[in-house]
Amino acid sequence: MDLHLEGLTRHYGAVRALHNFTHSFASGQVHALIGKNGSGKSTFIKMMAGATSPTSGRIRLGGRPVQFRSPQDALAEGVVTVYQELSLVPGLSVAENIFLGRLPRRGKWIDWTRLHDLAGALLEEMGATDIDPRQSVESLSVGRQQLVEIVKASSLSPKVLLLDEPTSALAAAEVERLFALIRRLKAKGVTILYISHRLAELPRIVDTVTTLRDGAFAGSLPMAEAGPREILGMMFGNLAPLDRPAHRAGGELLLEVQGLRIEPWLRDVSFRLCKGEVLGIAGMLGSGRTELLHGIFGARPIDAGRVLLDGRDITSYGLPGRKAEGLAYASEDRKHAGLVLDHSIHANLVTAPLRKIAKWGLTWLGLERPHAERQVAGLQIKVSDLMLPVNSLSGGNQQKVVVGNWLNSGPRVLLLDEPGRGVDVQAKRQIYQIIWDQAARGLSSIVVSTELEDLAECCDRVLVLRDGRIAAEFSGKGLDPKALYAATMMTSPETSAERSAP
Amino acid sequence: MTAIPHAPVVQGPRRLSGLLRRQSMLLILIAFYILVALTGRGFLTPDNQLNILRTVAVPGMIAFGMTLVVIVGEIDLSVGSMVAVSACITAWMVQLLSRGAMEPSVLAVLGAMLISLGFAALVGFFNGLMRQKIGVPTFISSLAMMATLAGVANLITGGSPIESFPSWYYIIGSGRFLHIPVPVFLLAAAFAFTFILTNYTALGREIYAVGGNIEAARLSGINVWRTKTICLVITSVFAAIGGIVYSSLINSGNSTIARGLELEVISACIIGGVSLFGGKGSIWGAFIGVLFLGVLLNAMTLWGFNPYAQQVVKGALILGAVFVNFAIDGRSPR
Repeated sequence: MDLHLEGLTRHYGAVRALHNFTHSFASGQVHALIGKNGSGKSTFIKMMAGATSPTSGRIRLGGRPVQFRSPQDALAEGVVTVYQELSLVPGLSVAENIFLGRLPRRGKWIDWTRLHDLAGALLEEMGATDIDPRQSVESLSVGRQQLVEIVKASSLSPKVLLLDEPTSALAAAEVERLFALIRRLKAKGVTILYISHRLAELPRIVDTVTTLRDGAFAGSLPMAEAGPREILGMMFGNLAPLDRPAHRAGGELLLEVQGLRIEPWLRDVSFRLCKGEVLGIAGMLGSGRTELLHGIFGARPIDAGRVLLDGRDITSYGLPGRKAEGLAYASEDRKHAGLVLDHSIHANLVTAPLRKIAKWGLTWLGLERPHAERQVAGLQIKVSDLMLPVNSLSGGNQQKVVVGNWLNSGPRVLLLDEPGRGVDVQAKRQIYQIIWDQAARGLSSIVVSTELEDLAECCDRVLVLRDGRIAAEFSGKGLDPKALYAATMMTSPETSAERSAP
Repeated sequence: MTAIPHAPVVQGPRRLSGLLRRQSMLLILIAFYILVALTGRGFLTPDNQLNILRTVAVPGMIAFGMTLVVIVGEIDLSVGSMVAVSACITAWMVQLLSRGAMEPSVLAVLGAMLISLGFAALVGFFNGLMRQKIGVPTFISSLAMMATLAGVANLITGGSPIESFPSWYYIIGSGRFLHIPVPVFLLAAAFAFTFILTNYTALGREIYAVGGNIEAARLSGINVWRTKTICLVITSVFAAIGGIVYSSLINSGNSTIARGLELEVISACIIGGVSLFGGKGSIWGAFIGVLFLGVLLNAMTLWGFNPYAQQVVKGALILGAVFVNFAIDGRSPR
């Protein structure tokens, strides 16, 4: 059944997550929906799944207006969403998962024979004959779990099926099986919306490409007419030239990573970081960005490789040892790994440098206060009272506290994991300014991010992490978001060979 | 992937509520104290006041240690058994070291105490190690330790108390200095030690950080397992000191003492506003909790409550305190 969107809009306060999205998706086709982070994709998916309702605008299914007040409404109308994170119950069998909440019964009891017959028939119909309906889901590979998830979705006889990054965790062979399954559903006349970051796989499966940019419709093309250039053009529009202050080249080598291997993310990663340099590392979801920083910081064991600081091998050092040598790590996950949310701003600003501040292990508020206040002033953290809990601050100011905590420890290398996540544009700029100011004082930074425009804006040099390796390097004039995007998302040979002048 | 810049959740004046919570517990204590003073015959006599302090000395001391353990995000259910086993070890060791002499030497007693404290430290260290290496929640491992230690105590005594102490040994539990019972000095020392630890040392701040968010603490370069282990060791050693005090009070090593003491200790912490989720609480709060429990028990005796009814009241009080504890933390009790 055709899916029509009429002026679909969702505002969060003053923020327009999605604005006036009008488009039609024809049935019996696979439609790619793409857009960079913050383009409004996730909001759109949530609306289609009934998890959030539009501020204004309408959804029509085959000409009939529909309203999704809850996920049940969406399912009742035949709109099924398969999320990136699997929603299967690991301990239950494949059959139980497929029919969860609607298990066939005989009287009061579950009719196991019928359940397994039904599930088996469904799996066979979808060409997944090698999956036993009695098998527990946790014994399956992630790829097969994904297949079960889609078989489950198809058993709800969907009219519209949304797949949110279905291939992000799959190996090549599993992707092929998934595509076969999608083609079967397509042949049944299901309208399929395929959300993906992997541009390279689109020609193999989709019929049209529709793009969102900054919460608005940015164009739609038949796949046959959409080359990488056209797609990137729709996604990024005409970019304003960057106004980054000119950086002096660092010169002096500070940190070196040699042949780092962390299974299953990183195979062989080597790079060098100079004094005062801001190095970006770009990579898509699951490329091992966070793992790379954790490996350098000593926060997780590595399988092979060496980390050298000042030419000295610090691979054998644990996290506290590397911290003492001047490494610092600001986590992407402020809530769970960066801050103690209900502790005071003060306490969160002096956690890392505590042992340095303390005299013979003794410390008190007055002794710590200058350190906390120095960061509040230096980072322009907007705060009325340092003793308020840190969760009373906005995301941007919380991020500054995470960074300030580490600046207090007097680091030489600052590892920043997604410093711009969940932070407004203004605060983001301020955080980059902080990174540059620190760079001018000789502090080196490694910034890891999925937000490629930010990397291009903030960094002196950007490495692209793909398939467990450094696949490309950009610096100077060659450093531009479109080129970065192409290098991050494409897996075709010509792009991986592409290396701009260092 | 999130396209929604979520608005920061302003949690309101949390600090104010925290302050009010501490103050309110103190206010309730004062109000209750006045009530008992008006109704309980002989409550206000200096002797009775000191008696209250003496009865809470051992559970109070252990509660200060337990406060550290709970703040760091763990629990130790084995403190009651530790009290019993340490009393038995001390008595047994005095017997062994003095070769059964009628009046064992001071050195033999000190040696026995050291062995007892050393054993407790080892048990605390072992609890920490189990937590780190195997990942067993301390709720489970200390439950197992509770049963084990109780068994060890019975094995040592063989069912009948060991009476091996010298004649002056009563001083530790029942002696007085400047009219104040000796255990009260121990309580004061434990208070001072843990108060300074939590408020004026880097380790204390780290205890709060680890309990508040273990991953953030780890990524801040704090040795989280060492921090947890130190707290477990301190509590275990405090329990062993309590065991020595009790052995002095009854002048023997008896394996049946301090049954269920862990309940009293933990409820004092909860009444004192120490969050069961870790990261929050204070020694001062625990002290108020301890006093409240002491005054309540004393009052019920003065009022002539049936001992079984006293148990019911104690249990109900803990339930109420847990409820308040969960309500203040704003988390559903699941």
